[in-house]
Amino acid sequence: MRKKASLSAPIASALFMGLGQIVVLKQYVKGFLFSIFEIFVLSNSSKIFNKIMGLITLGEPKPDLPVAERDNSTFMMLEGLIIVVIAIIIAIIYIYNIVDARNTGKDYEKKGVVQSEREFIHNIGEKAFAYLGLSPSFIMLAFFVVIPLVFSFLIAFTNYSAPEHIPQKNTVDWVGLQTFRDMINLKQYSQGFIRTAVWTFEWAFIGTLTCYFGGMFLALALLDKNIKIPGFFRTIFILPYAVPGMISLFIWAILLNGQFGPITRSLRELGVIEWLQNIGVLQRDVIPWLSDTTLAKIMLIVVNLWLGFPYFMLMITGIMTSMRQDIYEAARIDGASRSQQFRFITFPLLMYQTIPLMIMSFAYNMNNFGGVYFLTNGNPPDSLTTQSFAGTTDTLITWMYKLTLEQRLYNKASVVAIVMFIVIAPFALYNFSKTKSFKDGEL
Amino acid sequence: MMKKVMHVIRYIFIHLIFIIISFLILYPLAFAIGGAFNQGKSLASMNILPIPNNPTTENFTRLFTKTNYLNWYKNSFIIASLNTIFTTIIVMITAYIFSRFKFKLKKPALMSFLILQMFPSAIGMVAIYVILNSMGLLDTLIGLVLVYTAGNIPYNTWLLKGYYDSISKNIDEAAKVDGAGSLTTFIRIILPNTLPMIAFLGVTSFTGPWMDFILPRFVLRSDKNKTLAVGLFEMINGRSNDNFTQFAAGALLISIPFVILFVVNQKYLVKIMSSGAIKE
Repeated sequence: MRKKASLSAPIASALFMGLGQIVVLKQYVKGFLFSIFEIFVLSNSSKIFNKIMGLITLGEPKPDLPVAERDNSTFMMLEGLIIVVIAIIIAIIYIYNIVDARNTGKDYEKKGVVQSEREFIHNIGEKAFAYLGLSPSFIMLAFFVVIPLVFSFLIAFTNYSAPEHIPQKNTVDWVGLQTFRDMINLKQYSQGFIRTAVWTFEWAFIGTLTCYFGGMFLALALLDKNIKIPGFFRTIFILPYAVPGMISLFIWAILLNGQFGPITRSLRELGVIEWLQNIGVLQRDVIPWLSDTTLAKIMLIVVNLWLGFPYFMLMITGIMTSMRQDIYEAARIDGASRSQQFRFITFPLLMYQTIPLMIMSFAYNMNNFGGVYFLTNGNPPDSLTTQSFAGTTDTLITWMYKLTLEQRLYNKASVVAIVMFIVIAPFALYNFSKTKSFKDGEL
Repeated sequence: MMKKVMHVIRYIFIHLIFIIISFLILYPLAFAIGGAFNQGKSLASMNILPIPNNPTTENFTRLFTKTNYLNWYKNSFIIASLNTIFTTIIVMITAYIFSRFKFKLKKPALMSFLILQMFPSAIGMVAIYVILNSMGLLDTLIGLVLVYTAGNIPYNTWLLKGYYDSISKNIDEAAKVDGAGSLTTFIRIILPNTLPMIAFLGVTSFTGPWMDFILPRFVLRSDKNKTLAVGLFEMINGRSNDNFTQFAAGALLISIPFVILFVVNQKYLVKIMSSGAIKE
């Protein structure tokens, strides 16, 4: 019976997990573990089937039952999703069981012996450290990062939104691409969408560049030997990084208050506002720092620079101090001027080392919720805002937040999230290809 | 001679720029500090210069007696501490395994970590709400901590794995020859060598949650579980003109520890930031 083990063992194991290992190969411990696993799966099969059906139907509307007893579509969707993940794991173990039977069978045909039970247990012990150690982080990632991302992705294909389709009062249904179609066809949405996406891009791009070059300028200037008390200035320049960002943003929102803010009041005292009124730039005795779209956008960038330059300043200071000094000496001997040294040595070296950081920072700025929400709240609104809820300074993430928390239009918020995903993914991949371990091919 | 004059002008110019930037940085902060000690409640009652006419501490008294400020502070502190403990332990182990072990799916796992770290957890907030709800963890501090810790894993694992990789593998092979198991090697050899990086990790996971807004807003529904960020936001949002001085007092009490932490450790910060981030 054991002669054609490489054929009979996998077939037996395909019929029932572990059968090939027990009957053909006499690996009792391993085969027993596989069989128990299959028995466990089979005994729960009706449950698994029900949950997957739940994911497909998302529940039936049962208007005559009390609200608490009706089908809860979002729960069903979530449970279904978890079960699908588990089903994939089961399938992988099932396939592994067959592959293992075939490999051991081949081994047996060649050598005439199979791996002993003791060896098997020893091997498991070796590998267990890695898998056991990783399991907490993988389980947490699965539940709180991966499944939520997939879930948000799926919501875009349902009608999960207020006021008609909020569980548990009503059920949610799959609607295919209807939400996408709605958002394209409703002019308010499609225009609001384009405007928001373009501004998000501008905001992230300009925000990153201003902070980068601002930080670079200060870092280089501070390293100059002729600067008095550089430590004192550096300490001051770090402050915006040290004070929690949300607090700084609120302080700025106060400073930029159009009527009572100290900046407006100072300008009023100096007669600047009166002068601006006289030449017709301002209509009233207030400056619309955050209530005029263009001015608000400029202020967002300025405040973002205030908050963000210290990060790059610290980073570039660190890189500069660890740079080899002998290149500069060689350059000086060759008669290179200071500006030449900067143009041909410092700047290229810095750029080379910091481009991944800039990309990271760009992605961070695209997702920077507080930088917009706490300062302008996405305001001022315009004609597109009434239906799409996107203010003129809203970025994708603040818009998504508003659609989710304030309007409960989860399906539309989800479409926005998918777009964010598509926009961010190339940057993630680019950064990945730049990492050391990827280049070395070792990981 | 001409060259020397130019030189002097240039340095006066740079110092002038430094002084202007210092003013632009210090003024907003000074204005808020002035506001914290201001007598009136409204923005209009403040001087343009950040010096209050009759300094008073009544904003602080009101903060402690009339609002739940201390409770918010406590909640944020608990969340930050637990997040630090969980994140450090989990990331330490995960990064160690990725750095030293060979196993199936290692490469795809690391790749997906890198992609996952680009997405803010806010994208999945509806699902997080449903998941925590089904686990009975909605409106609990521990639920929020779990979400934070999970979100911290991908980026920090990469960071720490890179650091572990820079420690020679010969040392732990020598330890293995001497009969030390994986766990002993980790505790006796790897851990002491990476303490600075782990301290940095601990600090960032402690400072991170203090001002996070979206998740606590979504997950913590009851007033007794509110965090500082949500509490302060509700204090000032839409009523900035009336509540500014009280907000400033609350903000001052959060900022002081942060500013001390950053200013005292700035040299160390410069070093660790560039060592962790630079890719050669």
